[in-house]
Amino acid sequence: MATLKTNTLTGTSTAGSIAVTGEGNSTTTNLQQGLTKCWCKFNGEDSTPSFSDSFNMASITDEGTGDYTINISNDMANDDYSCTHHGINRTFLENADQVLVGSVRIVGRNQAGNATDINEAGVQICGDLA
Amino acid sequence: MSNLLVQNIKHTNNTSAQTIDSSGRTTAVLNNDTTYRSDGGAVTQNMVQGLCKCWVNYTCISTTAERDSFNVSSLTDITTGQTTVNINNNMANDDYSGYYYTNTDSNTAYTNFANTHAGGFGSFETGLFKHNSYSSTDIDAFQNLSGIFGDLA
Repeated sequence: MATLKTNTLTGTSTAGSIAVTGEGNSTTTNLQQGLTKCWCKFNGEDSTPSFSDSFNMASITDEGTGDYTINISNDMANDDYSCTHHGINRTFLENADQVLVGSVRIVGRNQAGNATDINEAGVQICGDLA
Repeated sequence: MSNLLVQNIKHTNNTSAQTIDSSGRTTAVLNNDTTYRSDGGAVTQNMVQGLCKCWVNYTCISTTAERDSFNVSSLTDITTGQTTVNINNNMANDDYSGYYYTNTDSNTAYTNFANTHAGGFGSFETGLFKHNSYSSTDIDAFQNLSGIFGDLA
């Protein structure tokens, strides 16, 4: 098998746009658009929540019980991105009304819908990086 | 147009950087320090960190069965509404992030799909993660969609 070794992928026509052939071999899709731009895992029960692991996330601001602002390192291009998340053991996260290019605010809830701190929480963002 | 006929492109220290096969193709194996230029062009980021490492679409009606998946070796039916997703190439640790959505219904309708009370993760391990599909009680659901992001081993 031939191998292409490289450190940086940059489009020739547009620096931030590279096409890759799809699994079905019939179409191409945009590499940059298909990548998750940020993700993190954190313990929201800690007095000062911090990431156990993350990518392109800068910090967590504890806004109150179950209420967190996740700060992004390299900002998104706009606030029209898609944000998914998870809790654990019948807790979940939902988006609060604060979705910004440099941060997203989320609220943890239990099955009854009450705000609660979550000990294994995760967030992922897909969209346009600035 | 001129043609350059080669089989290997090498650095001056004689390390082979690129090989062209007999069909003239190169198959990319991108190392984990590969970066890409962002959509807006302002920054570069690591590409491998941005990839979804495992995803699955499955049903729990009658028999737990995947419709399609990537890097999933098998599904284990634990009990009603609870499923283990077994990972093929393991994650490096259990600190990965993910999403899981379920329609908590035996029908194809997406009735409860926007209901965030409808299910969640049960646990995370390097070689598996568990789902719990529930509304007021645990339920075997028709639609189960999930993906994870983190460090592959």
